[in-house]
Amino acid sequence: MADFVLQVDGLSCGFHTEDGYQRVVDGVSFAVEAGATLGLVGESGCGKTVSALAVMGLLPRPAGVVESGRILLGSHDLTNLSSHELRQFRGRQIGMIFQEPMTALNPVHTIGRQVIETLRLYDPRADQKTLQKRAVELLEQVGIPAPVQRMKEYAHQLSGGMRQRVMIAMALAGRPKVLIADEPTTALDVTVQAQILELLRSLQKQHGMAMLFITHDLGVVAELCDDVLVMYAGRVAEHASVKDLFDAPRHPYTRGLIASVPRPDTTPKTILATIEGVVPATRDLPAGCRFSNRCAYAEDVCRAVVPPLESCGLDHEVACHRWRELAA
Amino acid sequence: MSEAPLLEVRNLKKYFPVRAGVLLRKVGDVHAVDGVSLELRRGQTLGLVGESGCGKTTVGRTILNLVPPSGGNVLFEGRDLSTLRASEWRSLRRQMQIIFQDPMESLNARHTIGRILEEPFVIHKLGDAAWRRVWVGELLERVGLPPSAAERFPHEFSGGQRQRIGIARAIALKPKLIICDEAVSALDVSIRAQIINLLLELQREMQLALLFIAHDLAVVRHVSDRVAVMYLGKIIEQAAPEEIYRRPAHPYTRALISAIPIPDPTRRRARIVLQGDVPSPISPPPGCRFHTRCPYATEICKTDVPKWEPVGADHHVACHHWRELPRQQ
Repeated sequence: MADFVLQVDGLSCGFHTEDGYQRVVDGVSFAVEAGATLGLVGESGCGKTVSALAVMGLLPRPAGVVESGRILLGSHDLTNLSSHELRQFRGRQIGMIFQEPMTALNPVHTIGRQVIETLRLYDPRADQKTLQKRAVELLEQVGIPAPVQRMKEYAHQLSGGMRQRVMIAMALAGRPKVLIADEPTTALDVTVQAQILELLRSLQKQHGMAMLFITHDLGVVAELCDDVLVMYAGRVAEHASVKDLFDAPRHPYTRGLIASVPRPDTTPKTILATIEGVVPATRDLPAGCRFSNRCAYAEDVCRAVVPPLESCGLDHEVACHRWRELAA
Repeated sequence: MSEAPLLEVRNLKKYFPVRAGVLLRKVGDVHAVDGVSLELRRGQTLGLVGESGCGKTTVGRTILNLVPPSGGNVLFEGRDLSTLRASEWRSLRRQMQIIFQDPMESLNARHTIGRILEEPFVIHKLGDAAWRRVWVGELLERVGLPPSAAERFPHEFSGGQRQRIGIARAIALKPKLIICDEAVSALDVSIRAQIINLLLELQREMQLALLFIAHDLAVVRHVSDRVAVMYLGKIIEQAAPEEIYRRPAHPYTRALISAIPIPDPTRRRARIVLQGDVPSPISPPPGCRFHTRCPYATEICKTDVPKWEPVGADHHVACHHWRELPRQQ
């Protein structure tokens, strides 16, 4: 029996807007094991970030609402907790890092002060000297050179990669069991991205935490994740181990995504495979399968009936009416 | 002898002054571009890659004189742009266009797409209103947008569609050169492939030369005939894409290529993880600019600027030690 630290079951959430309520995430389920990494992949607007914010209890209020579903952390259902109780969980149980650490760091306080304040949340009785020492250790752990010096600096004095390291240090301060990383390397240069991915991998090995890694970059998925959830327009399209996803993608959307990325063995200057059209807006989603208006294989049933997420192999699920024919 | 290059850049320099204090006295220079030379032939693509702050964007803008160069020459069809009179420059400028990462910033939000696309013709006094309308329709069709797009405003379009509008405007006057500055970087994967295909098709049809500036090496490899790698204001290596990806000679190029995540979980390779960050371009390191992060640096790298040497056919590198570096997979 797998040891799932985080289990999300039938999560639906959305926002109240001027045009009425819009559901952005529609019945999404996933689970992450201790020490493992689940990738959440999809293009802009597929609901991957909103799912993560819902797990963190960070949907903007009052517009954002979790309609239904359970978010289980161990034996606790986070959707039943009050905001006060939730705050106890965040940080201690789940940590989160974002794409742009500059917006998450306070520009007018030193790095040291912010790391120490975070540590104090988890250990209110510790004295300043102990916290100071722990902050230095924490920054060392995330690979920040000369941490004592860096503690006196402000966020704008650090490079993007260093800022992301500080964010990781703060996310780890409460020793969470789950780390949610929302496109943490998207804004970084490729060599710095390599450093941060390396760091996350080694920290995960040390602490055995479960990681939910949100990204649009299939290359990063292939390198970092154990399992992958492909999302399209708020629903799960496919769920597989990283190996199966690239070896035997079953959903036409997954296939399209993989084919549209130039690979090291693609002949230069040849026309790339594409997925026609664009992701539909939340207010005019097609009936049935949401990918049906862009899918080369769509039939009448696809345009009328929502495909269920069904098993198509060991630990491999797909939501497509025609996967059997397409797999043949 | 092959034909002369369409675009030739010789020893291009761009320094931005750094000012400080109450009187804003000049205290130094940002060496954004420091002696860059390039050649681009008709119908070909030169990929210019490097990380943030390496100066690749400034190269593109300096070529078009959007920022005036501090030194060096830009030759277009053999004519030195710095010697042109204003009227000559205007007519030549039609041949050279640019598209940006976020076309929204370069599209007037209060004008319809029809008016935006008509503008180049109006500026250059081409055709009458009826003719221009027909032309706008053809441009929209060519970049894959419906004719009804002409009546709509930029904010009504998605990122990919806006980039199509940016491309339509760039090709309106049938240029010979388009500078693509991170033109596909902000787009989602499936849309990015569509825009790359559109650029490749247009290039073939119109014999367009593209200077493709980007940080995504996989994309650059796919679209380019030649690739130049920049680090801290200088070009450190140049070759055909397959050559540079298979046999990178410069330690920086090697690290850069080994850092690209490959969308294939069965392909694992030794990764060179560089230590530290890119030094400040205000006081770039002496000698080889990469020596502060280079695992192979020796004394000479700290003092002498490496020469631009041939590695093989049409493959050049600026590194003191490229001959002695370990072979790699």
